[in-house]
Amino acid sequence: MTRTEFWQGNTACAEGALAAGCRFFGGYPITPSTEIAEHMAVKLPKKNGVFIQMEDEIASIASVIGASWTGARAMTATSGPGFSLMMENIGFAAMTETPCVIVNIQRGGPSTGQPTLGAQGDMMQCRFGSHGDYAVIALCPASVQEMYELTARAFNLADKYRVPVFLMADEVVGHMREKIIIPDSVEQVPRKALVKGTLPFKPDSDLVPGFPQFGKGYGVHVTGLTHDERGYPCATNPKLHETLVMRLVDKIESARHEIADYDIINPGAEQVFIAYGAPVRTVQQVMHDHPGDNIGFLRLRTVWPFPEYAPGEFKNARRFLVPEMNLGQIAREIERHVRVPVISLPKLGGELHTPSELLAALEAYR
Amino acid sequence: MKLAIDETRCKGCNLCTKVCPYKIFKEGKKANRKGIIIPELDRPERCTNCRLMHLYGRTLCGVCQLTCPDQAIHWVEELPYEPKKVAIEY
Amino acid sequence: MSYEEWYRQDRLPHIYCAGCGNGTIINCTLAALEQMAWKKEDTVFVSGIGCSSRAPGYIVTDSLHTTHGRAIAFATGVKLANPDLHVVVITGDGDLAAIGGNHFIHACRRNIDLTVVCMNNQIYGMTGGQGSPTTPLGCLSTTTPYGCVETPFDLCDLAIAAGANYVSRWTSYHVKELEKAVLAGLQTPGFSFIEALVQCPTAFGRRNKFKQVADQVEYLRSHSMLKAKRDRLLEQGEHIPGDMFVVGELERRNRPALGVKR
Repeated sequence: MTRTEFWQGNTACAEGALAAGCRFFGGYPITPSTEIAEHMAVKLPKKNGVFIQMEDEIASIASVIGASWTGARAMTATSGPGFSLMMENIGFAAMTETPCVIVNIQRGGPSTGQPTLGAQGDMMQCRFGSHGDYAVIALCPASVQEMYELTARAFNLADKYRVPVFLMADEVVGHMREKIIIPDSVEQVPRKALVKGTLPFKPDSDLVPGFPQFGKGYGVHVTGLTHDERGYPCATNPKLHETLVMRLVDKIESARHEIADYDIINPGAEQVFIAYGAPVRTVQQVMHDHPGDNIGFLRLRTVWPFPEYAPGEFKNARRFLVPEMNLGQIAREIERHVRVPVISLPKLGGELHTPSELLAALEAYR
Repeated sequence: MKLAIDETRCKGCNLCTKVCPYKIFKEGKKANRKGIIIPELDRPERCTNCRLMHLYGRTLCGVCQLTCPDQAIHWVEELPYEPKKVAIEY
Repeated sequence: MSYEEWYRQDRLPHIYCAGCGNGTIINCTLAALEQMAWKKEDTVFVSGIGCSSRAPGYIVTDSLHTTHGRAIAFATGVKLANPDLHVVVITGDGDLAAIGGNHFIHACRRNIDLTVVCMNNQIYGMTGGQGSPTTPLGCLSTTTPYGCVETPFDLCDLAIAAGANYVSRWTSYHVKELEKAVLAGLQTPGFSFIEALVQCPTAFGRRNKFKQVADQVEYLRSHSMLKAKRDRLLEQGEHIPGDMFVVGELERRNRPALGVKR
């Protein structure tokens, strides 16, 4: 039996994680993500899981990565300043192919900025924040229901591709209270175990190696140094480094179609909105107020890897309008993939775009 | 049992020459293929562990092995036909 | 049976310089582990960045070679998520006391069931000899070219103050004692901290008047003072020279511990 609740976005995120089998949470309090940690602290011990409040966000992500190597589904939740602190270890997780889920309830930045107001300023940081080249997956929920569903999906993606997966929500969605329908169960895709006797970092045909869980007798050496297929450090071999980094990127980029999650509304329209996260709600209001098929809408739930073919499905598009709560971070990414003008509609300060602002933009560029 | 130095691992730090209570290890003179001067063994049959390891079923002294930073010192089984020379010092 | 089989034989010889004491400390740690009769698959080594932290790469168990200073934080995650695993952290002075200082004191406070072996060579060896938080006053390094002017950390005092269950200090000269100390640390539930002072001929000894490896080992031997002797001297009100350091079992207690095997 499905049931209906009236929940806050952060609660839905924590419940989605629990439903997906998350059994380790390492966190540090930070507005506006604290409710996730609080909810996990209440619920995890009852489900035979572990909640620990670490000494800082660096330690939080470190403990999550450590827990993940013992086979547990592990997550942490944070916001901008904590996210910046986590960056080095996120690179470590990408290099060592550690599945983990990092929830970022984005707030106004830079620095301490606006702790209690929403923003989307970390979209590029989650993709490129750590040093070196790597690829990650980032999901963007726009409702409380999606906070639940995308958190659960994030765990499956992390385990399937062995990569850090980000849930890039924002304060608006995190603190919003909404009706949510809880399903009976959530699909759990188990981690592919390493076949005994094979090399621990030798990829299968999907470019993802099997997972050598700690404590199972694999005797695996996990290192953030450039490593060969045995897992041994070999940091001075240029060819090896190139092969490794190319594979880390390729395994995600080549699975773009499987990871992609978006809605296309009115594909014949000439004016097309592209949005993710909280601004989706304003666009939905505009579409609701102006029924018809003259406003197109590409609604992204997966932002990284960017579904670069999706804007092309609007065959008649003359321009794309991208409302974002940042200075056009994803608008620039869209520009790389389309031939028509991309108009960024940034809004800073923590407030959502109003429908009249979007309508004004539609008029101005018509 | 017989003391042996693994020439492929020894880096020639000569720490073993300082720690052996019998002074079995002494500084070598000739460089090996890598150019490392490996310590020489001076009457290794005097080593306590060589004679008594099997009898007691454990490593008795083993300070040279523990100290060797390069894991180059170990004991090997002596072949039965190898002549044994025992020199006991009082 | 011997601890030699805990080494990944295909990875030896290791990257340490000739005369480096780190290899000795790995020997002692593995010899202690061998006596615990733990299975290899139930043991996990965690380390950070630095010379010492390359050690788990030479050990046959599951091992996690992590980012600089964060070894204890990673180990906390491993231990809490699966308390059946025996987690040993191998770290260095820069890794533990400088960049990872906060993780260190918080792990002591939590008293989480880890055994931390710190190879304290009083210098940053991997990067070529920069001063560390444990470089003694007046010692030369590439970043303290006129002599170190900062008072060093006493890592053992720090661990005791922060609440570790077992704390001891030995040097790379005291191999048997160190082996017993690591063994006691492994046996103790809760946070065990074993500091092992090691010689670093390449980065420390070379700049600080230790021409030979053995000179620095001899210095470690002659400047170590047993805790019992220190206590006696203190009792008698006698002077303890400033360049002496205390060795021995410095703390053993039974504070409530976290993550002990269920």
